[in-house]
Amino acid sequence: MMKNSVAKKTLLALLLITTGIAQAASLKPYSGKINNPQVQLQDLSGNVHTLEQYKGQVMLVQFWATYCPPCVKEMPSMNKLQDKLAKAGVAFKILAIDMAESKAEVEAFVKRIKPEFTILMDESGSSIQAWNVFAAPSNFLINKQGEIAYTLFGGVEWDSAEIIETITQLSQQ
Amino acid sequence: MFIKNSLFIIFVFFLSASNAKELTYVELPSGEETEIRVFPAKGDILVIGFACDNGKSKHEEDTAQSLADDGIEVWMPDMLGTYMLPKSRSSYAEIPSEDLTHIIYEAISTKKDVYLVASGPDTQLLLRAASQWKKSYSDYQDLKGGILLFPRLNDGAPEPGVEPKYVESVGTTGIPLMLLEGGRTPDRWSVNHLTQKLGASGSSVVSKIVPGIRGYFFKRADPNRIEDVVTSQLSGLIKVSLFYLQELKK
Repeated sequence: MMKNSVAKKTLLALLLITTGIAQAASLKPYSGKINNPQVQLQDLSGNVHTLEQYKGQVMLVQFWATYCPPCVKEMPSMNKLQDKLAKAGVAFKILAIDMAESKAEVEAFVKRIKPEFTILMDESGSSIQAWNVFAAPSNFLINKQGEIAYTLFGGVEWDSAEIIETITQLSQQ
Repeated sequence: MFIKNSLFIIFVFFLSASNAKELTYVELPSGEETEIRVFPAKGDILVIGFACDNGKSKHEEDTAQSLADDGIEVWMPDMLGTYMLPKSRSSYAEIPSEDLTHIIYEAISTKKDVYLVASGPDTQLLLRAASQWKKSYSDYQDLKGGILLFPRLNDGAPEPGVEPKYVESVGTTGIPLMLLEGGRTPDRWSVNHLTQKLGASGSSVVSKIVPGIRGYFFKRADPNRIEDVVTSQLSGLIKVSLFYLQELKK
């Protein structure tokens, strides 16, 4: 009886852990109130990027920080995602917005980790607040019309078949 | 020279002995008995630290001792051990609110000004205790305030682009609150929102960002130089917070 109960509890715990991981790795349809998301930020070379200039492409807007371990861990998979979608002919852009750190900190990080996508600086934190971002990494998948279609909190393998499929579908709408 | 050194050692011994940690046991309404580590002091302030890992936190006892050395008495009830609960967020729900308020009642019976302090997810326990205190005692303002060190009060995982949801006790305490958050953690971006929500039931809330430190810095195995300094000065942060809370009361 006791053994049965322990086995049941262990199974339940394993199920909960598995479900937790599965949920953390899933894109969620966006249910928030941001209707017209905007970005106007400089990259590390001082060039200004806006969402408007990439309209017509699917975009991944990510809020990240150098001190956030999952942000660092998932960056290689973001490089791969970009490569795979380019090879498949899907128009796709990543804008990774650093959460109010200094340029020197981010430059040192970029040298070390080598992200191959656009890094934007938000030293004042204005975009962080406008986008209701309270955790990192916070991810927004933007459709070709410039609307937030999906969100995802936490680290994930971005070049997974499921995510590539979702982005490909968005690019066809 | 020998006599001088001996006198100095005896003096230090008496100084330490006067502030040494004591263990006291309090019977709770649930029928359980809780062990409280008491760092006695002669001043008129008493801080209850709802630490839930019984001394395993880095510098927890050093901080308590440092406060006691400065005349601030510290009580640290073993809230998880009392109910044989593991250190996890889900354990907090198992701790009866009436037991928490009984500890506050015992502290207030000393006639000292009582403040609560907790860090990280333990702040949920602090707010629930204060909330229940407000419901149970008409003189709830006898509890002078609460210090939330790097609070983690979200109810569920955060959702990008959506305002955070907090545990039920946020905004229900009515007591003055001081909130401290690290500058190198995404949680700093919810400080304004959380401050507003904490004040919902009339609490005055002061919040400050401590620059250069990450979340849970005082429990990290890889602290940077600033984090090391701030960890060793946690008692200083608490004293500054007490100062703010006293100012709020005026």
